[in-house]
Amino acid sequence: MGIIKTQEVVFEYIRRDEEGNVEGITTAVDHVNLDIKQGQFIAILGHNGSGKSTLAKHINAILTPTEGTVWVGGMDTSKEEKVWDIRQTAGMVFQNPDNQIIGQVVEEDVGFGPENIGIPTKEIWERVEESLKAVGMYAFRKYSPNKLSGGQKQRVSIAGVFAMHPKCIVLDEPTAMLDPNGRREVIRAVRGLNQVEGVTVILITHYMEEIIHADRAFVMDKGRIAMEGTPREIFSQVEKLQELRLDVPQVTLLAHELQKRGIALPNGILTTQELADQLVPLGKRGN
Amino acid sequence: MSLILDHVNYIYGEDTPLAVKALDDICLTIPDGQFVGVIGHTGSGKSTLMQHLNGLVKASSGHIYFNGEDIYDRDFDMKKLRSRVGLVFQYPEHQLFEIDVFSDVCFGPKNLGLSKREAELRAYDALRKVGLPDELFYQSPFELSGGQKRRVAIAGVLAMKPDVLILDEPTAGLDPKGRDEILHQIKNLQAETGMTILLVSHSMEDVAEYVERIIVMNKGSVMYDDIPKQVFSHYKELEEVGLAAPQVTYILHELKKRGLDVDINATTIEEAADTVEKALKVSC
Repeated sequence: MGIIKTQEVVFEYIRRDEEGNVEGITTAVDHVNLDIKQGQFIAILGHNGSGKSTLAKHINAILTPTEGTVWVGGMDTSKEEKVWDIRQTAGMVFQNPDNQIIGQVVEEDVGFGPENIGIPTKEIWERVEESLKAVGMYAFRKYSPNKLSGGQKQRVSIAGVFAMHPKCIVLDEPTAMLDPNGRREVIRAVRGLNQVEGVTVILITHYMEEIIHADRAFVMDKGRIAMEGTPREIFSQVEKLQELRLDVPQVTLLAHELQKRGIALPNGILTTQELADQLVPLGKRGN
Repeated sequence: MSLILDHVNYIYGEDTPLAVKALDDICLTIPDGQFVGVIGHTGSGKSTLMQHLNGLVKASSGHIYFNGEDIYDRDFDMKKLRSRVGLVFQYPEHQLFEIDVFSDVCFGPKNLGLSKREAELRAYDALRKVGLPDELFYQSPFELSGGQKRRVAIAGVLAMKPDVLILDEPTAGLDPKGRDEILHQIKNLQAETGMTILLVSHSMEDVAEYVERIIVMNKGSVMYDDIPKQVFSHYKELEEVGLAAPQVTYILHELKKRGLDVDINATTIEEAADTVEKALKVSC
């Protein structure tokens, strides 16, 4: 069993009217099966309302399934006595950094989590230092979070979660509110945690460029997994993604447009480098 | 009819030790009917600038003229300005509050003192303009999807029939399709009504695709103010201030560097495909 496993997970919201009578049931997650291995970088895509955030909230037991089972590090999330262990195994980072930072000073904020679970003071300092270095924010440890940019704040939030030494971090649109530079910084930090520290990463995003390095990507639609594969496999299917209200990186889109105009290119080009490698020889052929 | 900013300065916490200069000597003219993109990293002063344009924040010094009238004149009607310059904040759906979509959109025009009938006509018109299906009009705004809520919030401002519409990151947090739909509708709206639109955005690709002029803010002043092609030709400088050019710009520069004769000034997928196709044909 992988670090995260879900089996036939269903989650239903019960809609009620003003008097509290049941009006209907919305199925937000519909028979989802996932098996995520330790150390993987997983991306979850999907349009607004496709159920990806609801699914993500199952991974650290904010929600528990209506039907089916979710195991995090082998623990069943529906067992209430395991909730704290589950949340230490799988940490979560949300969209808005301002809702997640509580400390007056960066290092104090990062130390808050470990302090809460009774880590000895000396080790707290070690973890704070290590976490801030991992996200490239050590130089800012004495700053007030209020004085940081969005990308920097979001990296502090990530350090705060990493300081709990989770095996897995779930990031729910961590870059939606950031400028291009902030987005780059955050994604770099997340990739670092995954590759250097071996943390399992589950990244939910609307920015297609952010997931090209993922090991595996899942596309959700109406609560189900509609597509699954490596980013290259997923992005080869430009039309299908567009039907699912999604997009592909601009490089892939340009390659697709050129294909339509009869230029021989392989499917699923993901980086500028790859596209150039393909196009340059085509251009030189006639010379 | 236009907006003119004449040496506008704004200092937060003026006369305190914490004073921060948020806007530094801004001079801009925004003529009628233009579709302008405003970009800048977080904290560059773009939102502060937008808040000046409908008088939510008063400049520390300088003047702002709306249709030739100084908005800081004692007898200038600020309330009228706010109905003429509509501001849609970030995450505007957080401001929805009425029991159904239609009443929510009616709230603005009613507050302008219009009759119930006129307010309802305007609300209907505005909801049609943002492309919200009729069957959702009497639903609670809280039961809609993110993109739909965003549209209702924009309709709420449109129903005030502003001459200038300012949108502060209208697509943040929306899925790519929702992003395209909203931007498309804004573009159509501008073509139909000739409204002036200022679009604040962090997405360079969106800005490149839709606007005719880009204002780049950095450290409270205007760094560039030009057509998209010109602005994105400074992509190195943009990166230094925390921004970027659309991905196509990078692709074209890479191709050029490696000997393909492409036009590096293309900023949209369509233009890029054209120039690559042409470059390949010439050399074949």
